[in-house]
Amino acid sequence: MRDCLLARRLTWAAFATVLATLSPARGQAADFEIQADTALQGYEVASPWGDVVLQRRRFLQTVGLGVYNLQGTNRPGEADYRVVMMMRLNADFGVNAHLYDKQSGGETTYATPGGNGVRFVPGLEPAPLDLMFGYIEGRNIAHGLLGFKLGRQYVTDVLGWWAFDGGLVRVTTPFHVQAEVYAGLEQRGGLPLSTTRFERQGEWRGSHAGFGVGAGLPSVTDYPAYQYAEPAPAVGFAVESSGPRWIHGRLSYRHVYNTGTSVVSMFPDPIGGGYRTVAGTRTSQERVGYAAEVAKNDLGGLKGGFSYDLYNQLVATYFGGVEVRAGQRATLGADVDYFVPTFDADSIWNWFTKSPVTSITGRAAIRFTKRWDATISGGVRLWRVDGDPTTFGVEECKAARKEPDCTSVPSPGTSIDPSTAGDPLTAAQPWSRLAESRIVTTTLDALGNLNARYRFGSGNISLRGMLQAGAQGSREGVDVAAEKNIDGGRYTLGARTSLYGWHDPTRPDRDATSFGYVLSSGFRPMRVAHFRLEWEHDMNRLVGQRYRVLGLINLLVLK
Amino acid sequence: MIARKRATAPLPGWLALVACIAALGFALLNPSASAETAILTPAPSSSTAAPSPPPVDAATLGGRTAMPGDAEVPLAWMPPGTAASPLPSEEIFPPQTISVRFNHKLHVKQLQQSCKVCHAAAFASDDAADRLLPKPAEACDGCHESDHADLLHVKAGSSAIGQCAFCHLGARAGEGGKVAALVVPTPNLHFPHKKHLGRNIQCAQCHGKIDELELATREQMPRMAGCLSCHAMSGAAQGEAKSACSTCHLTQADGRIQVAFSTGDLSPPPWLHQAGHSADWIERHKTVAANDSAFCGSCHTDKYCADCHDGKVRPRKVHPNDWLSMHPQAARQDNPRCVSCHQEQTFCADCHRRTGVARDVASGNRLVGRRFHLPPEVWTTAPRGPQHHAWEAERNLNACVSCHTERDCTTCHATKGIAGGQGVNPHPLGFRSRCSLALQRNPRPCLVCHDARDALLGSCR
Repeated sequence: MRDCLLARRLTWAAFATVLATLSPARGQAADFEIQADTALQGYEVASPWGDVVLQRRRFLQTVGLGVYNLQGTNRPGEADYRVVMMMRLNADFGVNAHLYDKQSGGETTYATPGGNGVRFVPGLEPAPLDLMFGYIEGRNIAHGLLGFKLGRQYVTDVLGWWAFDGGLVRVTTPFHVQAEVYAGLEQRGGLPLSTTRFERQGEWRGSHAGFGVGAGLPSVTDYPAYQYAEPAPAVGFAVESSGPRWIHGRLSYRHVYNTGTSVVSMFPDPIGGGYRTVAGTRTSQERVGYAAEVAKNDLGGLKGGFSYDLYNQLVATYFGGVEVRAGQRATLGADVDYFVPTFDADSIWNWFTKSPVTSITGRAAIRFTKRWDATISGGVRLWRVDGDPTTFGVEECKAARKEPDCTSVPSPGTSIDPSTAGDPLTAAQPWSRLAESRIVTTTLDALGNLNARYRFGSGNISLRGMLQAGAQGSREGVDVAAEKNIDGGRYTLGARTSLYGWHDPTRPDRDATSFGYVLSSGFRPMRVAHFRLEWEHDMNRLVGQRYRVLGLINLLVLK
Repeated sequence: MIARKRATAPLPGWLALVACIAALGFALLNPSASAETAILTPAPSSSTAAPSPPPVDAATLGGRTAMPGDAEVPLAWMPPGTAASPLPSEEIFPPQTISVRFNHKLHVKQLQQSCKVCHAAAFASDDAADRLLPKPAEACDGCHESDHADLLHVKAGSSAIGQCAFCHLGARAGEGGKVAALVVPTPNLHFPHKKHLGRNIQCAQCHGKIDELELATREQMPRMAGCLSCHAMSGAAQGEAKSACSTCHLTQADGRIQVAFSTGDLSPPPWLHQAGHSADWIERHKTVAANDSAFCGSCHTDKYCADCHDGKVRPRKVHPNDWLSMHPQAARQDNPRCVSCHQEQTFCADCHRRTGVARDVASGNRLVGRRFHLPPEVWTTAPRGPQHHAWEAERNLNACVSCHTERDCTTCHATKGIAGGQGVNPHPLGFRSRCSLALQRNPRPCLVCHDARDALLGSCR
């Protein structure tokens, strides 16, 4: 009883301490910001076969709170403190809406009268609630020497856009260098108030609440690829230049660990029938990256960066670009972008053969007037593979002692069905593993983009055209959008129309041309509120007509 | 308009001569009808007793444009940074209406008047909103013999240079001395002239060589590129010229720069971090954010970024109309962009599982016989044809991962036996040189496809 009372007192004391810490000093006024966005969306999503039609009835509510200048009066360059947070409810009342009778509720309930798991999607939540960010921050402490953030926060750098729960300390030296160190837990889906957005690719994780071994309960082994969500400790640091604006660079390092138990077997053990697991702390990601930029104001600039995946032991991304000012109206440039997929270190796909995608483009940006500007860019995307797709199979046939055109005449002997005896792959594999059989071949996509806009005092008109065409198919189209504010922005009218076509050589039956338009109107009855309603209508031969309604309410109160 | 030259072309010489002669004739015939053309006449107003002064040829006095004949000002005389930003920002220095004529060169060089004579207020100014233009009663009347003590009852001087129309463009005699308003809006920035002058940063260092110019306009206002030549100190540096945006820019309560003004929305100039928000900026911003996200945070909130990067409402600037129909082809062609915002095993695959566009899904979501890819004998059955899935996986592994779970791939690619696969080796060439370190750091992916006692696994230990 005494322990309980003590615990209660300690709780209240801690709460009071937090309040006192966050409250502005007496006689000083902090600045408050309360923000709430509501979005209502209604549309349908059909499967390619048309017999599953999802009703998307989405309700999104975010609520944000910011308390700035906790120290009282804000003086530029002096220490200031703030607390910011934003919560989000992302509900879809369309989950289960297309299921009736015996399957009713089957997407989120494993056991239904229609059977166990016939519609069940592990991890699907109809109304997840998450904390997007929430932290207390101090800046310019000790005459600009120190800064900190404590709580759920974003980190944006050459390693990507990422979020974690923890602390970050920044030290700014007088020598044009600053450093930051952070540690905490990566935001992971399935954990409280979290989303999967910031995890590395390749792992399907989520909450196993409701899983069990009893009748009518989904078992972990029913979905062996669906992994437990466990806390993921993370540490990182960055060293960055500060001060001069003509040069900047940032070196970033991050190491995230997976913990807990992970199912390893995708199939039951043929002997015991069980599933194997691994447990313990292991790497999730370990990467280092650097990005830099240097510019001469009246000439142009250079920029570049890369990320190296220490687990995969390869350069995962790099980019570079040069910009040249061509007179007072035009900027010319060239860019290169390189990307090779990497995944969470728990994922098997890190160790599958995969090749980089490299884009090389040239660009011109022209500012005809202050109101009217346009950019045009074009180039190529390079796709690389190990081997020549047009001859590889023929050589494999030869190695398997088959006719050279064996790939065009499917026979039981060419199947890799486990029940098939005499797997010809055994004979073909040595050939396919030879380096000389894997001479890199490259295919190209042509890329083109055109963007233009005209901005006038009360609105704007914009155009966007794009083309991507090559062996991987093609996609081309154009968007034209316009928006007009009336009565000083009290009313807004908008329209957008688009025409796109696409061709997929691997699925020619999915080629289509689409036309769509959006009509929107907005109303701002007072400074703190804005309402917007949008109607979207798309049409193509695959889905016929599709409609989408979007309603937005934005509230922002500053005090 | 980027060019510094005025849009209005100067009058040809012969036309100006004809205009001068004509104006002279009109003035002689009817002094009150003369305008602000070539001949200046005294305004009657309250100084009715003054005799008519001799006319003065305004063409020789200048002061209506920066350079005679509205010639372009040499770059060397312009404020530092003009090469990068030919014109000052309209958001920071809103357009002005200059309704007076004033020849700085004449006053400074010929009449030996220093800047301080007219702009004394600048030397005591801590705020950019301070009025720094000369008060005519203090700075002008002494020489021009006018009387601006009461601005509602200004008295013209007796000489030609004391007449209202000598300085005030458009002033007409007989209209009670009314002159057009001089509009110089307050700049939208923090700027303490006193502090800069106190550090011996003289006028020309920010405004250029105004002593070589006649009329000074907002084109002589400082350029940010010029400011940053000094403002390069980090927050912790002892120097006062901090590079933080809030040193000069107006800020909101949360410390971000105020960007919305009546003259437009402030955005970075193209030379600053190469972050000009051009029409294709949304496709290019990642390189700037990767290098210096704090720079983005000078104007944008966490929420602003999250609306797209972690958004739940499709941003049409990124994904155009009918994206639902188009996205498979877009994902095949441009998957690096997908993974910059989406976690494929959840965001993509959750919807794919619900619609049956995945392999490892509930039986009811994908009816028997439904197939997304090409027929098995083309797509999966070895040996490889040109349309075999291996090529697609090599080019586009992320696209596979947006539908398939590990279980789908291990069906064939795991080793035979306890792992339950068919032993089709998916590893790239050169894998062996890297597998040891990978196994050491995380054995989990190895164990998905290999039994712990597998000899192949042992070779990586």
